[in-house]
Amino acid sequence: MQESRLGRRDRMTRVLGIDKSPEDGLRELLRFLLEKGRVKGVLALREMGENGAISYSLITNPDHVDSTVPLYPLMPVNLAKQLSRLTLMEPAGDPVAVVLRPCELRAFVELVKLKQGSLENFLFISSTCGGVYPLEMAVAGDIEEQLAQYWKALEQGELIPDIRSACKACTYFVPYTADITLSILGNREIGKQTVLFLNTDKAQRFVEGIPGQFSEEEPDSATLEEIRKAREAERQKLSDNVETKALGIDDLTKTFSRCIDCHNCSKVCPVCYCHVCFFDSKESEHGPVYYETALEKNGSVSMLSDTTFYHLVRLYHISASCVGCGLCADVCPANIPLWAISLKVGDSVQKAFDYLPGKDVEEGLPITAYKPEEFAEVG
Amino acid sequence: MVVTQKGVILAAEEGTGKGILSFLKQALSQNCLDAVLVPARVAAGDSFAYFLVQDEAFLEEASPLPPIMTVQGARVISSLTKRGKGKKKIAVIMRPCEARAAIELAKLGQVDLEHMTLITVDCPGVMPLSDYFKDPTKGDEVFKDASQAWNSKPMRPVCRICDKFSASGGEDLHVGTLGTNTGNILIIPHSAKGVSILNRLGIAFEEDMSAWETAVENLTEKRKKERKQAKKTLRADIEGIDKLTEAFSACINCHNCMRVCPICYCQQCNFDSDKMKFTFGDYIARAEARGSLIIPTDTLLFHIGRMLHMSVSCVSCGMCEDACPTAIPVAQIFTLVGDRNQEAFDYVPGRNVDELLPLTTFEQEEFLEVEQSYAGVSARQERQDD
Repeated sequence: MQESRLGRRDRMTRVLGIDKSPEDGLRELLRFLLEKGRVKGVLALREMGENGAISYSLITNPDHVDSTVPLYPLMPVNLAKQLSRLTLMEPAGDPVAVVLRPCELRAFVELVKLKQGSLENFLFISSTCGGVYPLEMAVAGDIEEQLAQYWKALEQGELIPDIRSACKACTYFVPYTADITLSILGNREIGKQTVLFLNTDKAQRFVEGIPGQFSEEEPDSATLEEIRKAREAERQKLSDNVETKALGIDDLTKTFSRCIDCHNCSKVCPVCYCHVCFFDSKESEHGPVYYETALEKNGSVSMLSDTTFYHLVRLYHISASCVGCGLCADVCPANIPLWAISLKVGDSVQKAFDYLPGKDVEEGLPITAYKPEEFAEVG
Repeated sequence: MVVTQKGVILAAEEGTGKGILSFLKQALSQNCLDAVLVPARVAAGDSFAYFLVQDEAFLEEASPLPPIMTVQGARVISSLTKRGKGKKKIAVIMRPCEARAAIELAKLGQVDLEHMTLITVDCPGVMPLSDYFKDPTKGDEVFKDASQAWNSKPMRPVCRICDKFSASGGEDLHVGTLGTNTGNILIIPHSAKGVSILNRLGIAFEEDMSAWETAVENLTEKRKKERKQAKKTLRADIEGIDKLTEAFSACINCHNCMRVCPICYCQQCNFDSDKMKFTFGDYIARAEARGSLIIPTDTLLFHIGRMLHMSVSCVSCGMCEDACPTAIPVAQIFTLVGDRNQEAFDYVPGRNVDELLPLTTFEQEEFLEVEQSYAGVSARQERQDD
């Protein structure tokens, strides 16, 4: 699987070039796949209705491809969660082409490991990712005017101002297991050319016969490495941010004290997959004895007393699989920097297990793989 | 609605909040109450939560009228009593919409009010969470100024058009601030429970409340007009399936509106249940029927389903809108629909705990006009709204 990752210096990959801008080129590819019957459906972002709301759409009619905006810099939902919904009961019965971001693909691979979906019959099309804008910018209608600047910065491989912090600090902007990778980040030909790396045999089979130029190319790994370094620096900066500097219990309690207990972070999280969260279950309800005992003991008791506990347990459950997609922070009504906390905790847990979530579907989840020799120092 | 309009004027030189707290302290120290459920600032100082308090020292720190509503008070009472009512007698300081929701939840068997004394306060509204959390220190100042002047501009959109900001009759005690000098609060008992607390404290409540009543009436009239106008404007934007679809098109299907709603009490929502799990083949078939299918699916169905379930009990508190990550005017839409449904049944949610929920009472003679065409009903409702 790792070989299919764009960015390996030592490997020539089959590349398809279409003489159109990436968004038009992708639409052409999607239309081709549908019209030729190579896929039954395509799943991509689409502009809905008059107010310009952006939403994913499962398209079977090729004419509907025209209204897709597959690279629109917004993540209304993490698609991994939706792919899980589509394939939870049975794998996809027909081929479907899916255009998604690298973190969405990684999250779906984690969900497949967790038996919440199936990769079968999907043709994954992803891109080197410049990041997305916060949901609140979409709500305010502020994204449209940023688009020209967004694409210009992509072309230059620069950090894009105003994108979400999670994206600014993301060093995994090259997809791992995509069948097709669209090269846009730092691609100087972006205005006129769609450059698609065909990473798998499946990809080559699916695009056979499409009008375009085929070649063998190496990715521009020097440019990608530069971008990675810039993102790494940003990651360090955000990680050192005062809000998450101290992860001691007092600081965490303060950080989470704004929590209104809505659990929306869990609801939108692609790797929080439990059908009923423990903290929404009867087991976590307190009876009057609990409150009255606490009242006698302390003189007062917060009716939001379990929020820190909730966040700690959520971190404990998801940190090995957290892909840093940032949706938790995006939907938090209390503006808690949830993503930055997950980043810090996720990074350290993933480092400890030498595990990168979503990199390889064959790699077992850390806590399902026991090695007698590991963590000797903990003992 | 309001049963008795005699009350008592208490001095509150340090402001409404301190005045309420001093009354509560008195009630605690004379054993009229065992504990108080009241909002207070959280540890970090930048938000508020309900606290159950019995020590007077803690009570000193409470904020009976906080600038934001982080959790709807009815939900808090439900957390406290749905596994049983406990032994302690507890007074709850609430916004009127919180008390009305609590009364609806009592009817729905989700809270036990036997040991609860509901104390409501004339409500200047609350600020949207997003505005407040941008800068809590500034938010505190904005709220202080606006609430003293009864300026509803910085408040939630549904607070600005709220016509039930004062006593509704269902509470035990009401704290009036309108139409009285600053430096005073009015305590008005509205139930036997409320009367008994005042009696035990030896507080006579024979004073005339007509200045307060007039002030409440005047503001109610003004708000009713504003509400009517706001609904008329909104109706033009959302009426009909196309416009309604458009209004909810930014929905990301997170169901947070339901999660924070005081009335939506189901342990598991139908829309989060196995009933809403479909096979891949089902999804493809639905996509093929129209050429494409929005993912996530069934977002509008969810909102209409929720509306059907809770709109007769909707108290227009605005939590749903505050918790929506894509700023859909959920509370305003539900207010419009809720008002219509409530008028149709001549029902005011939270007015009286003994009044039955409309859908639990069948009257043979009602809704004869429904047998007419939809057009007839719609035209009648439009006339009503105008």
